[in-house]
This record gives sequence, C-alpha cells and structure tokens, in this order.
Amino acid sequence: MRVIIFSWEYPPRVVGQLSGYISTLSTQLASSKVNVNVVTYDDSTTGQTQESSGVKTFRVANPVRTHIGVLTWVLTLNQEVERAAANIYYESNNQVALIDVHDWHFIPAAVTLKNGLGIPFVYSVESLEDHRSPNANVSYNMAIKSIEWLGFYEAAGISVKSEWMKDEVVRIYKVPQEKITVISTAPSSLVKEVLKLYSKVAEANKHER
Amino acid sequence: MKDRLTVMMLSWEYPPRVIGGISPHIYFLSKHLAKQDVKVYVITCDFPGAPAHEVIDGVEVYRVDSYKNPAPDFATWVYLMNMNMQRETAALTRKIADKIDVFHAHDWLVANAGIGLKHVFRKPLLVTMHSTEMGRRDGLHTTTEKMIHETEAWLCYEAWKVICCSDYMISHVKYVFGLPSDKLVMVPNGVNTHNYDGNGDLKDFRSKFALPEEKIILYVGRLVYEKGIHVLINAVPKILSKVDAKFIIVGSGYMKEQLLNIVRSMGLEHKVLFEGFMDEPTLLKLQRCADVSVVPSLFEPFGIVALEAMAAKSPVVASDTGGLSEIIEHDVTGVKVYPNNPDSLAWGIAKVLLDENYAKYVRDNAFKRVQEKYDWAKIAQQTKGIYEGVLGEYSKSFWAK
Repeated sequence: MRVIIFSWEYPPRVVGQLSGYISTLSTQLASSKVNVNVVTYDDSTTGQTQESSGVKTFRVANPVRTHIGVLTWVLTLNQEVERAAANIYYESNNQVALIDVHDWHFIPAAVTLKNGLGIPFVYSVESLEDHRSPNANVSYNMAIKSIEWLGFYEAAGISVKSEWMKDEVVRIYKVPQEKITVISTAPSSLVKEVLKLYSKVAEANKHER
Repeated sequence: MKDRLTVMMLSWEYPPRVIGGISPHIYFLSKHLAKQDVKVYVITCDFPGAPAHEVIDGVEVYRVDSYKNPAPDFATWVYLMNMNMQRETAALTRKIADKIDVFHAHDWLVANAGIGLKHVFRKPLLVTMHSTEMGRRDGLHTTTEKMIHETEAWLCYEAWKVICCSDYMISHVKYVFGLPSDKLVMVPNGVNTHNYDGNGDLKDFRSKFALPEEKIILYVGRLVYEKGIHVLINAVPKILSKVDAKFIIVGSGYMKEQLLNIVRSMGLEHKVLFEGFMDEPTLLKLQRCADVSVVPSLFEPFGIVALEAMAAKSPVVASDTGGLSEIIEHDVTGVKVYPNNPDSLAWGIAKVLLDENYAKYVRDNAFKRVQEKYDWAKIAQQTKGIYEGVLGEYSKSFWAK
C-alpha cells in the first residue's frame, strides 16, 4: 500500500508535538511494508536533512516569500504540496491508496487531489483552532475553522488521539460519530490501528470507483 | 490529437460580475473561441442571481461558491477563493466527458488555482497578464503588494506562455518578472463595434446629462490613482475657460470623496457629475453622445476604454502611455497628451472640442482602425493558434507520454 502523509512539520523542523509523532508513525509504517511518502515544508533554516530509512520525504519550499500572515503562507504552499503529491501519483502509475493529512494546513491540497484524482484522504486531528485560539471569532480564525470544516466534510475518514477529541470534533463541527476513529498512540498498537483505518478507507474507495 | 480543442478558462470575473476589463475580455474571447470550434469552460466567482452553471453562446460557464470562507482582508480572500475554485474545477475536470487540453488563467487573482490544476492534471497552463501589481501601484510599497507581485512572478514562471494585450505590456512584464522573450506573446484586446449600433435620436437622452450648449466630456473608469482621474479634475477650470462643457465621470473608487472635495472647493459641482457605476445600455448610449472621451491614465496596460470610445465614434484624448500609445495614433485616430499634465490634457480636449472638422476626422479614422485591428474573431483565431502551438510542444514532453 502506497500512502502520502502531509504535515507542515517533520524533523528537523519541530514546531510542536506533531513533528515527532509523524516521524514515529512514518518509520513504523515503513517497517510494516507500507510505501510511505512524507510531503512537508522545506524549512531552509534547519540546515541539512537526514532521511530515515524506508520513508521517502518530499520537502517543498514556499514559492512566494513575502506574506501578510499564516493563512496566505499556507495557501500558496499548498500548490507545491499538490505538485509533490501529483508527482508521486503519476510516477507510481496512479497507485496511491490514500493521503493522510495532519491538521488543517494542507487540507486544501488534499481536497483538490481527492476531487481531481480520486485519492481519498484521512484527516488526522492533532489540535483544533477552537482550542488553539479560544473564542477567537474574528475572520482570521474563522477562515482557519472553515478550512478545518472543509477537511471534515471531504475526508473519507477522521482520526483523533482521544475520546475527548472525538467528542470535540462532534460538538464543534457536527461530524457523525461513525466517521471518527480514535487511535491509541501506545507504541504497541499505533501502527496496527492506523493501518486498520487506512485499509478501510482504501477499500471503500476501490468500491466507489 | 482529438478533434476538438478544449480549454478551461479561469477568471475571477465574468458577466454579470463586472469589476474591471477582464470580465468583458473573457466573455468575448470565450464566445469567439466557441465560434471557432473550441470547447470553452469558464470557471468564475459566483454572483447574486446568476446560476451556478449555464451555457452562454456555446460557452459552459461555472460559477464557484466564493464568499463562504470568512477572510480578514482582500488578498487572503483571493487565496481562499482559489482554494474553492480549485476544488470545484478539479471535480469538474474529472467528471466531464471532454478532456481538458489547456488551463488558461487570467491575472494573479486565479494564480493558485491555475498552478495547482496544471500539476494535478499535468496539462499546460497559459496565462494572460492583464496588469501587474508593480504597475498598478507604481512600485511595491507594502507587504501585501510584494506578496501579490511574487504571486504574479510565480504564475508567469509556471506558465507555458504568457499573453499580454499590448507591446507595452510585453516589455513591462518581461522587465518586471525577468521572462525570456520567447515566452511572451502579444494578442490585442478587442472591442465589439456592434455594441454601439443603434439609430434614433439621442437628444432626449443627452438632455438628462447636459444643456444643449454644453459639450459632453466623458470619463469612464475606476476612480483610482493609476487612472489619472485627478489630472482631469485639475484640468477642469482650464478647459472651462475655453469651452462650455459638462464633465461626466462614470465609475467609482477610493478617490471619489477626495475628488468631490476638489470639485466643491473649485465651486464647479454644477459642471462635474459623478455618476458612479452605470448600467451597460445607458453607458453605451452615453459613449455615443460624448463630444470627447478622455483617458488620462498614468499606467495603462491596454486601455480598452479608448477602444470603446473609438467604436462609439467619440473622439479620444488619451495620455501617451502604456497601451494607449499604441492604440492612438496622434492626429490620426485621436489626440495624445503628456501623462500627469493637466495643461497638456486641457489643450488636447480643447483642440477636439473647438474644431469640429478635426473631431470628425479623427473619429472616422478611429472607427475604421477598430474594425481592422481589434476584431474579436481575429483575436480568438490568434489565441487558438497559441493553444495549438503549445499543445504541439506539450505532445513531445514527458507529461504527454
């Protein structure tokens, strides 16, 4: 099974907890014979990068250097994420089972690739804008929330790391419970549970075609 | 290659959504491409009352939900709109029976969508640069302006060919983005002379705007710095000292209040009418009534207003700048004046208004020129040729294999 993981942070770029998690997840998936491709942001300030065995990484730089905020920065970076993912798709003779997109940043790319090439995606939730910026009902935060909403709407599956987060996603975005899978991040079960979700999504997509 | 060329045209405006010159450009270009057996899909922003999908003159028009995401500012709105445009266009491209041959994007406003779709479907991207941020703002002064400029540079980089509407814009775009010459193609903008057909007396219509003894001096354009409307306002007293006239200003923009204040302080409110946005049928008639049409722009990539006036048989006075320099041949198809110079502008306007034979001479020449050079059927034919050339090159690339 060939999967593409989208994350805006991946070692050596560490913004929060997500970076380490993606690193563990992708390495373990690779040792479970999954063809893992990580598409991430090329942070030129982190210097030389080392690729861990088995995981292919694609680091894309922002084609527009000057930005007025995180939103415009993210939205232009998404086209490069699309380009990288489309290259993986075409070079593998259209054999990409799914995309696993972590948090909101690269949801626009995942949505385009789903609609254009029929690649389903899993939206893996690390955190939500409502928790990061509580009660921030100005258009800036609302725009981020609208991207999160689009992700929940278009995703073939949603993964969260706790029952609490599952309840929050249901409460805030009115997502049907059966669309959400709680993944235990315990080292012993992580890959097994993620793979189960991946297989379910990939299988459902086959039938849809 | 399959029998029929299929193009997906991306534009943030298409009638009835009209913000600037891109909207009529897309309308006529698409319509005339369709007449030449090119299948055209136009993807554009939604507009109150306009359907999400319709077929207009053989052109498939899709209007994308563009205002659902809250946006803190205009530029962020543009990028969010592109997200939605890409999503809907990707789904459409996958769904329709026609296979898309090229994506054709117009200006930075659809840059992200055009670039994303190019890579997702591995089809060539063509771009028409109608304007540049550098030109609009006369330099780059703010973070937003720099960001837009870099987005334009990125779009030109990703394009297979960059189309500009005048030789002036070709050299401007080449210089601003450092593009190689063979990437640039000039295709002029067009005008539909039949818009101004119509007989019947316009005396009653004219009397709503001016007294019989007053000449009508018409300005059509946004009230923004680059259009040089302030130069015309500053020239008002100079002109009135030579000829009795009514100034009619059509369009709106951020300079409106400032301009109104200048007119008030001169005590000339009864001579200068700010009409705001005007519906098309009224505007077409007004252009036919105008004794002179003024285009005082400081920066003008093309200057469609000048062409429209020429088609309406109204004599044109325009600044000798940008695309206007090419459209107007001085003393033959109009009068050219120094840009940003109220004295020169006043001189040009008075020259036309005080000499009826001269006015008739340039008016007749101008109409003939428009019919010969700025015909949409010819422009569509040229554009189709560019598509075919690009597809010929593309067919040898590894993307086509």
